[in-house]
Amino acid sequence: MENKPMKTDNLKKWDKTLASCIRCGYCFEHCPLSKYTNWESDNPRAKIIMAHGLLSGELEPSTYIAEKLFSCFFCKRCEAACSSGVELTQIFLDVRRDLLEAGFDVPGTTSITNDNCAACLICVKECPHEARSILNNVVVTDSVKCQSCGRCVEVCPAKAAHLGLDYGTSKNELNIEVSDYLKNNKNSKAIIFACNWSYFPDLQSSIIETSDNKNYKIIVNMCGGRLEKVTLLEPFLHNAQGVLVACCPDGDCEHNGSEAAKSNVLYIKNLLQSINMDPELIKLVQIKHGDKTGFQAEIDIFMEKILGNK
Amino acid sequence: MGQIDLLKLETIVGKNNVKADPADLYIYGSDSSVHTAMPWAVVRPENTEHVQGIVKYANSNKIPIITRGGGSGMCGQAVPVNGGIILDMKQMNRILEINMPDVYCRVEPGVVDDDLNMALKPYGVFFPPTPASSRIATIGGEIGNNASGVRSVKYGATRDAVLGMKVVMANGEVADFGAFTRVEASGYQMHKLIIGSEGTLGIVVEATLKFVPIPEFRCLGIANFDSIKDAGKAIGEIMASGANPSMLELVDSIAIKAVNKTMDLGLAEVDAALLYEADGMVVEAVDYEINKMQRICKKHNGKDLKASYDAAERAKIFMGRKKLFPALSKYDENLASTSLADDMAVPYSKMADMAAKIHEVAKKNDIVMTAYGHCGSGCMHTKILMDTNRKDQWASAKKAITEIYEYVRSVNGTTSAEHGIGISKAESFKIEKANSLDTLIKIKQALDPNNILNPGKMMQAAEDWVTATDLRYSIKS
Repeated sequence: MENKPMKTDNLKKWDKTLASCIRCGYCFEHCPLSKYTNWESDNPRAKIIMAHGLLSGELEPSTYIAEKLFSCFFCKRCEAACSSGVELTQIFLDVRRDLLEAGFDVPGTTSITNDNCAACLICVKECPHEARSILNNVVVTDSVKCQSCGRCVEVCPAKAAHLGLDYGTSKNELNIEVSDYLKNNKNSKAIIFACNWSYFPDLQSSIIETSDNKNYKIIVNMCGGRLEKVTLLEPFLHNAQGVLVACCPDGDCEHNGSEAAKSNVLYIKNLLQSINMDPELIKLVQIKHGDKTGFQAEIDIFMEKILGNK
Repeated sequence: MGQIDLLKLETIVGKNNVKADPADLYIYGSDSSVHTAMPWAVVRPENTEHVQGIVKYANSNKIPIITRGGGSGMCGQAVPVNGGIILDMKQMNRILEINMPDVYCRVEPGVVDDDLNMALKPYGVFFPPTPASSRIATIGGEIGNNASGVRSVKYGATRDAVLGMKVVMANGEVADFGAFTRVEASGYQMHKLIIGSEGTLGIVVEATLKFVPIPEFRCLGIANFDSIKDAGKAIGEIMASGANPSMLELVDSIAIKAVNKTMDLGLAEVDAALLYEADGMVVEAVDYEINKMQRICKKHNGKDLKASYDAAERAKIFMGRKKLFPALSKYDENLASTSLADDMAVPYSKMADMAAKIHEVAKKNDIVMTAYGHCGSGCMHTKILMDTNRKDQWASAKKAITEIYEYVRSVNGTTSAEHGIGISKAESFKIEKANSLDTLIKIKQALDPNNILNPGKMMQAAEDWVTATDLRYSIKS
């Protein structure tokens, strides 16, 4: 589609709200995109600034801007942290609508379907956001509705669905992060997978190089349900003694991720048992949103157990 | 865009650490203040050598460098008034050493305050300045600004917590200032000068910080007052009595009404409330402090007194203060909450008069202002609520601010207690420091002869903050 001048029919209703954002920056502490790139341009505040620029005409729309605004995992941590109560993700969606209208159709973090698609429509049925549909025998994604939850990626039997930009959340990147950490930290004993909707008690934006009191690494992914079986196995291939998987309590996950996480952890437990390893070396815990203390307690209990096993 | 060699920058820090798309420049052109201006490039150094390389290039070519941390500054300190290079320090984010025997830690400037405290927690200690923005504020930014927070009444500001630092000077050379020891006698205490210099004298690439034990006990109390003048008297007497509060906060009637209006917390709608906290390792000592503060509040007609050690109960007592920011933002959909004239300090005896002055000036100029703050350290916070789209409201805000600062100076107060000077407070700062400005200017000239380090701030800022830069709002006539 050819680009045309951008109208702001959807965005203009947010004019006062954009002014009410005090730009405090509290929104980006837990933003997974922001933490992954560590660039201001990828954080929620930057999206609000770009929205203001587009509305005021101070910024010309561009593919670069569209890529930023079509990138969001909708964990809504930004909204929970906002000191001004700004409905950030609603604003992002209205900018997307206006950008699409102007011809800026880029995937960002939304789902893409490749040529392997057999149009079985499983993803269409499973999408919790009604973002997948079939058009001229091809499965397409509504990039306003898509919340990059990854359910389509998980259920596609042909591996034909993937996210345009994954910001470190893909299987390959997670596996590399796990293996790099365990290779470089020989005394480490465990990997803790945390869901971005749960809570993770750890440094958010800084690095501590040497730590004599910690022997695990917390790796935050977008959802416990999106951790594939090979990723759950990866730590054991690098001599980890345990894997803890955190996901949301039953009924809290918007995309059935807790069920998928339970199923995958059970699979690995059975696998460990089949090769005469202790199935308790992998454990799933369900953490209430924001329960930082509870999560740390679960980590401490798990570490005590696996260290006791040794 | 000014003359800048992007390839040269990429050679120094790597292609992945340079940005110059118009969207990036627009984003990095603003912080948490009302100001905005476009830089020419954004550079993200990963180590001291990168910083030195960029500074040497900039100094040779007389290109401004604006050092930036979490971008939470409220006076435009990180806004590139004259263009130039934004140096985003967040990639220099390593906690280098936690040295318990010698009671210090070493960090890079991009380390986030809360992250440092998370790392220190297993050792039972914390880095005390703790500004409200600690979840995103970096140590470098806190040093640039001499940040402080609700507990500074007991634990001091950043300047009290820094032992030494490694600084890249304007010529690109590295200098070590301060010491690893608790005391250092004669000689210019250059690290103390760098703290609060807003990136105008050098670029901090490493800091050595003190920490203190996390208290075992913490007790928070509240007292309501029908007259803010009585609350003011209680503040003065508490501080003069030798009490050692770890927090002493004032909230005025407008703030209470705003919280009730938007959050339905059911707070008693009194003229003012005082929150007082004590902490320590011995419960009897904390009790002593709390009882003393309660007695003083009662003496000055404080009512509804209660205090608690329980964390949940303390959170409930503090809720009204904590919800103030979102409450002000939602107070009226046509009014935005702006960070202007928001952190003056006055003597204890003038806290109540300061609040009254703020209310009087706001009413006269058709804007809404609250008065609240860390009265234990003499800091009075305000927020100006106004229709930021209306040009006349900016003129009103300017008039109100001028009048407020005239009052602050007349009672021996100071322009900024916590948030710094930057652009928006420079006018009052220059009047307040009139007979020392010449010295400040000479120091700047001596250390940065080409004026590349964050030019256009503090004593160099334009006279009129409203026109010093574009404002980040859609202002219509």
